[in-house]
Amino acid sequence: MKRTILAAALAAGTILGAGSALADETVRFWYHFDNADNPMSALVEKFEEENPGIRIEAENIPWNSYYDNLYTSIVAGNAPDAAMVKMFAQPRLLEMGALEPVGEMVEAWEGKDDLLDNLLNLTRASDGNTYYLPIQYVVLYLYYRQDMLDELGLDVPGTCDEFRDVAMKLTRDTDGDGQPDVYGFGFRGGKGGHDHWGSFVLSRDVSFEPGGMLTEEAIAGTQFVVDLFREDKVFPPSAPNDGFKEVIGAFQAGKTAMTIHHIGSSADMVEALGDKVSATTVPECGGGRWTAFGDESTAILSSAQNKEAAWKWISFLSSAGNNALFNEATGQLPVTRTDSGSWTLHEKRFVDATVNSLPFAELLPNVPETSDFVNTVWPVNMQRALTGEITAREMNQAIDALYNP
Amino acid sequence: MTDTPFSVTAAGAPPKGGRASLARRVLPYAMLSPAVLVTLAIVFLPMAQAAWMSLHDYLLWKPSGFAFVGLKNFAAALSDEVFWISLKNTAIWIGLTVPAQMLLGLVTALLLNQKFPWRPVARALIIIPWALPSVVIALMWVWIYDANYGVLNEFLLRMDILKSSIPWLADPDTALYAIILTLTWQGFPFFAVMILAGLQSIPRSYYEAASIDGASAWRQFWHITLPGISGVLVTAVLLRTIWVANSIDVIFVMTGGGPGYATYTLPLYAFVKSRTNLDFGYGSALAVMFTIMLLGFVILYLKRAGKAVN
Repeated sequence: MKRTILAAALAAGTILGAGSALADETVRFWYHFDNADNPMSALVEKFEEENPGIRIEAENIPWNSYYDNLYTSIVAGNAPDAAMVKMFAQPRLLEMGALEPVGEMVEAWEGKDDLLDNLLNLTRASDGNTYYLPIQYVVLYLYYRQDMLDELGLDVPGTCDEFRDVAMKLTRDTDGDGQPDVYGFGFRGGKGGHDHWGSFVLSRDVSFEPGGMLTEEAIAGTQFVVDLFREDKVFPPSAPNDGFKEVIGAFQAGKTAMTIHHIGSSADMVEALGDKVSATTVPECGGGRWTAFGDESTAILSSAQNKEAAWKWISFLSSAGNNALFNEATGQLPVTRTDSGSWTLHEKRFVDATVNSLPFAELLPNVPETSDFVNTVWPVNMQRALTGEITAREMNQAIDALYNP
Repeated sequence: MTDTPFSVTAAGAPPKGGRASLARRVLPYAMLSPAVLVTLAIVFLPMAQAAWMSLHDYLLWKPSGFAFVGLKNFAAALSDEVFWISLKNTAIWIGLTVPAQMLLGLVTALLLNQKFPWRPVARALIIIPWALPSVVIALMWVWIYDANYGVLNEFLLRMDILKSSIPWLADPDTALYAIILTLTWQGFPFFAVMILAGLQSIPRSYYEAASIDGASAWRQFWHITLPGISGVLVTAVLLRTIWVANSIDVIFVMTGGGPGYATYTLPLYAFVKSRTNLDFGYGSALAVMFTIMLLGFVILYLKRAGKAVN
């Protein structure tokens, strides 16, 4: 019954296009871009010229509902042939039997050696197979206001202790009304903020294994974040609800002096702040460093009609030149050595911060629970801890209970 | 209505039991059937499906794990802390929003029922909050409440009512009430328009007679106005209670349910469980439980609607 209803829900919207989608040499491809410019038409045109007989139907799906649509289309039997995918979705897609192994195709592919080191390892599935082909990446780093540090004679923080000290000094009332106008750090307490928390907590040799979140180091890490807000008051009061838009907006408006994000926002930062903004690696906390590796790959769906054609298309996107064109549109970084070597789209200081962060960049555990961690368990419990409803220990217990029921 | 064809027949039209008579009997059903079929397909079928799914373990990403579990999801909800938090928030949400909308709507309708210059313009302007899309309203009020730039904090600080800015939507003590105020503002025009229509149906002669008898304004309101609009009030309250109870768009845009569970209501919790966690079994159980809770209001409304039709 469930299949019937889901199929009925999707059928109306897709039935008209199904005729052409099912043609032997047509590849239906789903992707998501934040910006309105669509570089796909140029790439599609180039691919179709080089591969006569294969037609690409590329469809930009809004990010907010990208995975809802992807999962639903799979259940309804109407999945695309290939799609952009992130690592956090891999366990669920595997559980659904929706991914086609591409290991042999990658091994036989001439572009394999041009891929940056370690990317294929980072995106390998827990069963040891390769299902993803990297297409772009980012690594999170610390943005800071160079002009504010200079004004106060402060150095760029390298450790958590220094970070706290600098953040407290940067939190200031500049107009004399008794209210802070500038806060030391723009913390993302809403969805997506686990990357900020991770840099302060997961750096301390903390794991998601049974009991890993309940060690003194792990609890001290979460307590450090809570204290920054509740005791030191270096986050804006809105921090528990703040998402990407609020955190980036506050930094660009000069409301916060530091925040964590990646090179994808650097062009807007420079446009708003010019040379006043710079970047470095996230601080070392508890003797280690951890930052989030922001992945994006392509995959072939197991239901694809033309797997060979789909492989030709996704390997085309990850090949030198084409990958640069793709990343010029997304504002992220190419995955090929050739394109990385000649990359000039971003300012050097942000590329340097990214490259310097790569050695300790990691992904969250490659298990089905991570989706719930990212979407609900982390934001809800972080918000409760920040507002004093639960303790740091209780927050970590909730995470431990999710990963180790 | 059924008498008419027979009387026509008796007057000399085609004989009883003929083809035309059969056509007359079938025609209403034939005319109604498209609407009935559409209603069945888009209302009752999904409802039945939700009830069916609530009796199963059904994670969308585990399509092979669709197993009948009876009332397990319902029992799990009853021992789920978030269910009770959401239920309490739902009670506060409905209990404050609907009366607040009604009172504000009543006062507005009484004012708009007076004669004053520019009254048509005022009546048109009052509709604006109701006419705006919920998402626009939610985004607008997020800015109003903003702790750094928001006009509400600025106003209260300048008036010396506050000593420091309050993060209205990021504080679990204020977030739900801040959203209730937003929805009150959005929904009061509905009451105002409904009540205004009711007020205009009360004959002026009642008030003139009461004035001659020396009744005060308050007694006129209590003994003439209130009984005159009571039917409209009851219908509007029933209808609005059902709408407000199911409304999640404003909450979702303003806080997403946060901070923590501070603004979770039951429909929002069911939505998050189904759409975000992809747990359609548990999400359906929450939706079914809430529907049963609302059923009393729904039956009351249907009875009133039935009476009005008759």
